[in-house]
Amino acid sequence: MTSTEAADFGALIAERSDEPAWLTERRQRAWNAFESANWPSSKDEEWMRTDIRLFKLDKFSPAPADNAQPGGEALLAKGVDLGGRIESVNGRAIVSQLDDDLAAKGVIFGGLSQAVVDHSETLQAIFDKEVVSPTYDRFAMLNDACWTGGVVLYVPKNVHLEKPLHAISRLAGAGASDFSKTIVVLEEGAEATLLMETDSDDETTSGLHNGTIEIVVGKGAKLRYVNLQNWNNRTWHFGHQKAIVGKQAQLQWTIGALGSRLAKVNQRVALAGSDAEAQVNGVMFTEGKQHLCYNTHQHHEAPYCRSDLLYKNALQDQSRTVWRGMIGVDEAGQRTDAYQRNDNLMLTSDARADSIPGLEIEADDVRCTHGSTSGRVDDTMIYYAMSRGYTRQEAVRMIVTGFFQQVFDRITIDSVREALGEAIGQRVQDLPNQ
Amino acid sequence: MSDYESVGQISEFADPSSTLVEVDDEAIVLIHAAGRFYALDDVCTHDGGPLSDGPLDCEDQTPSIACPRHGAKFALGTGAALTMPATKPTRVHETKVEGDQVFVRLSE
Repeated sequence: MTSTEAADFGALIAERSDEPAWLTERRQRAWNAFESANWPSSKDEEWMRTDIRLFKLDKFSPAPADNAQPGGEALLAKGVDLGGRIESVNGRAIVSQLDDDLAAKGVIFGGLSQAVVDHSETLQAIFDKEVVSPTYDRFAMLNDACWTGGVVLYVPKNVHLEKPLHAISRLAGAGASDFSKTIVVLEEGAEATLLMETDSDDETTSGLHNGTIEIVVGKGAKLRYVNLQNWNNRTWHFGHQKAIVGKQAQLQWTIGALGSRLAKVNQRVALAGSDAEAQVNGVMFTEGKQHLCYNTHQHHEAPYCRSDLLYKNALQDQSRTVWRGMIGVDEAGQRTDAYQRNDNLMLTSDARADSIPGLEIEADDVRCTHGSTSGRVDDTMIYYAMSRGYTRQEAVRMIVTGFFQQVFDRITIDSVREALGEAIGQRVQDLPNQ
Repeated sequence: MSDYESVGQISEFADPSSTLVEVDDEAIVLIHAAGRFYALDDVCTHDGGPLSDGPLDCEDQTPSIACPRHGAKFALGTGAALTMPATKPTRVHETKVEGDQVFVRLSE
């Protein structure tokens, strides 16, 4: 910890004098923990395959982007009739809009910084749940102490949102940082769709994102949540993400991971009430020397729950993905039906995918299955497509699209399917002869 | 081909020693041994271990550095994998000394 960092924290607290006392105290506790903790070590199993020795926190500034202007149309918002939208730059909201009829129903959707002031009690109760542990590791401590903004969505009991909501976080300027928290709470019987994405204004500037996502889906509620990570390839991306799914509730969580220099994300789903259901979809497409590490955890705490996870990764150049998946079933999780699968398509001989599925089962009446495949593109397929008049790149694009189709078929939101397909299509390079 | 990038002064690198340096966003192990500088990717091609944390062997006919995880050895001059479990070479980069500065240029 440097004196600069301490000064930055002091300045952050000073500029947020209107925050409630409970939050200021919480930030201070997290900061104290951060000061006395070490960065994760490569000796930790979780970090063994992810090298952060070149990560230097002091290279990044918590300063806001001066005079930031709203960007153009976001990928996931193209052609979508939205019920509300939030745009943040360097972790601070610059646009926050919600349809009047939704606000009248008690829906809260806006920047977290303002929400903790306007709805202090509601937010305190959510913070106190500690969906993501603020002391899990040094990144979690830093986020809990220094977050500058984020998105909060609160949907009251039995309120159904017909239109999706959208939020985009942008990084602007060299050494920019985004310390944000996303908080989503659906009360009993509520329904909502939330689309979130990230973007960098400049493809060449370095950046840092250190964020958390905390989701609570109440009894019988339904949430469709999409998160597209699309930073530039010079951004460090660290995330702790967790959803708690209540009794008879349904969660469909789709992540797209396309950007970042190095990403280390823990994505957890806890099925906390009986008959809960979670579907987790992941799409990763990497290039250059990107390193994307996603650890997933499906935690069955209650009986009669279903979870289904499918991650599909395609890798170019010398990029690397790491997926560590765990299905955990508590003793109470009888009649669990859980599945996890990770498929890797290697587009070059220098790419590397580590795929490590796991099971930890304490119940004795469950169905838990997992699988993982890794393989190269079949040259015969490319030859056949080229013999029918396609160029080599068109053939590769078609094969990659076909590889991801299994995930696309599970995504029920047209704009998301199209946006992911388009973003991946733009990144497909000509495949070298192998 | 990228440009040479200064990684520090000669006096910062004892002889013999291996040091992690950053060149153009990449982790490079800079080795100072018997008066010469070598630069390799700081990544074991077997399991991604950090070579800069491993032991140097400058006494052998082929000077090498070993990965601390499983002991795979790599030749300092060529990056060749000398022992199992590594079978692929690690990349070697050009080094030069000008004045009191050490420079590294990444290879393709």
